[in-house]
Amino acid sequence: MIGKHAVVKKLILHLALLIGVAVSMFPFYWLTVMATSTTSDIYKFPPKVTFGTELMTNIQNVLANIDFFGSFVNTVFVSTASTLLTLFFCSLAGFSFAKFDFPGKKVLFVLLLATMMIPGQLSLVPSFIIMQKLGWVGTYKSLIIPGMASAFGIFWMRQYAQGSIHDDLINAGRIDGCNHFRLFWNVALPILRPALAFLGIFTFIGSWNDYLWPLIILNNPEKYTLQITLSQLNGIYNTDYAMVMAGTLMATLPLIVMFLLVSRQFISDIAAGAIKD
Amino acid sequence: MSNLELATGRGRKQTGKYGSLWREIYRNKVIYLFISPFYILFAIFGLFPILFSFYLAFQKWDGIGEMQFVGLDQFRYLITDTVFWKAIWNTLEIWIYSTIPMLFFALVIAFLLNSAFLRYRNLYRIAYFLPNVTSIVAVAIIFGTLFGNTYGFLNFILTSFGLEPIEWLNSRFWLKIAIASMIVWRWTGYNAIIYLAGLQSIPTVLYEAARIDGASTVQTFFRITIPLLRPVILFTVITSTIGGMQIFTEPQILVGNGGGPNAEGMTIVLYLYQQAFTKNLFGYGSAVAWGLFVVIAVFSFINWKIVQRPES
Amino acid sequence: MTRKIFFSWALIFCLLVTVVGCGGQQAADTGGSGGGGDAGSGGEKITLTLWYWNRSIDDNLLKEVNKQFPNINLKAEKIGGDFKAKLTTSLAAGSGAPDIVGLNDWVAEFFPNKDQFVNLFEYGADKELKSQYLEWKWNQAVTPDGNYMIALPMDTGPTALFYREDLFREAGLPTEPEEVSAQIKTWEDYFEAGQKLQSALADKKVFMFDNINTVFTQATHQNDKIYFDNSDNFIGDQEHIKQAWDRAVKVHQLGLSAKIGGWTPEWNAAMNNGKVASFIGAVWMKQILMEAAPDTKGKWRIARAPGGDGNNGGSFIGITKQSKHPKEAYEVIKWLMSPEHQLNSLVTMNLFPSTPSVFSDSKVVQAEEFFGNQKMNEIFMKSAENVKPAYRGPKFSIANSAFQDELTNIEKQNKDPEKAWNDALNKIKKELTR
Repeated sequence: MIGKHAVVKKLILHLALLIGVAVSMFPFYWLTVMATSTTSDIYKFPPKVTFGTELMTNIQNVLANIDFFGSFVNTVFVSTASTLLTLFFCSLAGFSFAKFDFPGKKVLFVLLLATMMIPGQLSLVPSFIIMQKLGWVGTYKSLIIPGMASAFGIFWMRQYAQGSIHDDLINAGRIDGCNHFRLFWNVALPILRPALAFLGIFTFIGSWNDYLWPLIILNNPEKYTLQITLSQLNGIYNTDYAMVMAGTLMATLPLIVMFLLVSRQFISDIAAGAIKD
Repeated sequence: MSNLELATGRGRKQTGKYGSLWREIYRNKVIYLFISPFYILFAIFGLFPILFSFYLAFQKWDGIGEMQFVGLDQFRYLITDTVFWKAIWNTLEIWIYSTIPMLFFALVIAFLLNSAFLRYRNLYRIAYFLPNVTSIVAVAIIFGTLFGNTYGFLNFILTSFGLEPIEWLNSRFWLKIAIASMIVWRWTGYNAIIYLAGLQSIPTVLYEAARIDGASTVQTFFRITIPLLRPVILFTVITSTIGGMQIFTEPQILVGNGGGPNAEGMTIVLYLYQQAFTKNLFGYGSAVAWGLFVVIAVFSFINWKIVQRPES
Repeated sequence: MTRKIFFSWALIFCLLVTVVGCGGQQAADTGGSGGGGDAGSGGEKITLTLWYWNRSIDDNLLKEVNKQFPNINLKAEKIGGDFKAKLTTSLAAGSGAPDIVGLNDWVAEFFPNKDQFVNLFEYGADKELKSQYLEWKWNQAVTPDGNYMIALPMDTGPTALFYREDLFREAGLPTEPEEVSAQIKTWEDYFEAGQKLQSALADKKVFMFDNINTVFTQATHQNDKIYFDNSDNFIGDQEHIKQAWDRAVKVHQLGLSAKIGGWTPEWNAAMNNGKVASFIGAVWMKQILMEAAPDTKGKWRIARAPGGDGNNGGSFIGITKQSKHPKEAYEVIKWLMSPEHQLNSLVTMNLFPSTPSVFSDSKVVQAEEFFGNQKMNEIFMKSAENVKPAYRGPKFSIANSAFQDELTNIEKQNKDPEKAWNDALNKIKKELTR
């Protein structure tokens, strides 16, 4: 009896969870249905809910109308550069805050935390004007440089460094004659690797999906990132909706694949980050 | 008397104190160098723009011609600008419609995922997290087809159950629901994962004790789970508040720069973008930004009060 | 240890290269946007960039430019979203704007910033080209003082009534273009036909109009004045606008509108699925209709627009001051917009010429398959003859968007039309003060 009860309970549990999964997954399914259909089929009412056979045609149309690979390469470049620079500057500063004492440390750190509360959109207009004065409008510098030492990243690296790097190690390194940078590079970085992995993926995804700022700052179609290209595709060619959907699928897939490859570690890191706060 | 002592002693003492302070600072110069990039970048791309936007808010400028000082005109206009106020309320409404279901479902999912001996937990976690990896632009394009007034998938479902179709993108209320649903879809899994980690850090002894006392599942949930999860819940509320104030992409792709019929989907950031970058009212855009700043400050203050309360 | 130090420096070096790298790239690009830097003067290839929007220029014609001008490499880029906003932002940025740019019927909004564009009079446009173009169209790109021309005319947008012949037949309405033109002559006739059609086809849920914004736009464009007089005084609160407004409201009150906004996938779907039986549109709507509603091939016809002929849309092409090669750019736009190429674009893209010399060409009037082999351009030609050019001025879109937004409120949220009218006027008056 008890065994049967437990089985029923388990079934209900899985059923409930699967309903949630279905809701999570449905938009992806729907996207794929549309991307494999013709535009007329998408407009049918009642709609067609099974996969079609037009995927290749739609993809060819995307490639014929927009420079998909160009914006793909642009996005990879911007995201990678942002990620590498963020990792470097954030771990360096986070490690310094965690492991060294210096005058003004507390004030500086509180200041850093306080900046996290200021929404970046607030300074959209003047930031644009600054980029204009620097001659950075339309360049990737304006996307990469302002965010490369993020408050969140420094905070995150500091939290991790505080818990994981023992003072003994630092002292031992000092005795070996390491200077500050070598302490960071040789002693701290290897230990910080899990935190770097999380921050790296987090930054990469954020940069990949960034929309508002690139929308304002990139004015040359050759430099568009995928999100801008995608919104352009949606805006320019809405009479060929199947193609828009194929483009959406193509722009979404790479990140999903990348995420699936690293998902396990990343998800537990996110959770750990929130709990530490 | 002590005042006098201080007054006479101040000069000498301070040179000594500050002298050693300077030495200390000098000794740590490399550390300051290490942490400096953030402060330098913040000064250039964070602080300066904010101050500059204050200056701009007193100007009339289309970004091309000459700036023209207009005093408080922009703020005067702002106060009587119905769309600006509407954008604030819309943003708050969308924030409420999205945050409440999102956090509720996240809790439920986390609770289910935390059940003992659940198999495939990792698969579930990945499936629930996947929406968060998808770009908002893509999400908005896909959801646009679900919410179509005439040919949308959801109206197909409604009509096939014999219900009246809903004009999602026209209605004051349903448009906000449509926008909120994208946020819910994208962020529920993320919050569930965070809650799950919080749940896993609650010692199982507590649950066992409750069971021995004869507490039901619902009772355990409200008496043990929720109180112990409080800090994590606060974290998610704060992050979703910050996120909620910045909603832009969802309405922009779904209903365009104007925010849809009667600007029902107009959010603060979308309004800022529209005024500054599509109408080229840079001065007014800056005034809107300052309006936004005040709203967020008030909001953060309330948030902070809520966080403070239980500790006293 | 030394190896590690080496790697650390190598990494820092890489980071620096990344940063500086974007810098170098940018420097090269600023040159590029102006057209290959100074290389052009040395007789080498120069690069010109051109921004246009979908269906505004024939893609194949753009490809021909490189053959016609061996020393020019034309990079034509389709810009979507808010084209005008993207252009203004690039002008404000001081860099990144194209050499050549398409300008829509909002060309006059750039008059206050005319010095962002090359004055085409400096290249002799008035002496060399003026006689080739329709005078009213030409004048739209010239500042009111008559001294500065910021763009050359591209196409014009004579309007007509697009209607579904099969649905009209089913509803017992006239079906032949001549009959339709003769019997649905006024807006009142049009409303009446709408009521008849919708009651006859009630089970099909077909609507006569797509949305009331179309009604308002077309009704306003049948006049010789719109929102502003020639000295930019607001006249949008006068009878001619109120009348157009009342017509739009009437369509709403009679329930004749499908309430589907233009430029949306829903509109495309409605057209393809036969939900809308007619609309008044400019000649370039042919192209959109053919792309949006392929399943309705052969079922559409056109007739003269009820309420009178008008002009809606039609574009211009100019050169920005950011261009390093304005002279070459001028040669290119002159070539692109020559009467011969305009004629060609009418055939390939349904872009109606602004050069009247080609109107008599036999290529203009052809049977068109999508429209049941009707000789479409016969009607558009007649419409074009009767266009009453209306002044738009730099503040047109302030007034227009206020009226259009309020009409949307009426249609989609059942706002009281009286209140909507007053709200629109108040909003315009408020916005005009800043």
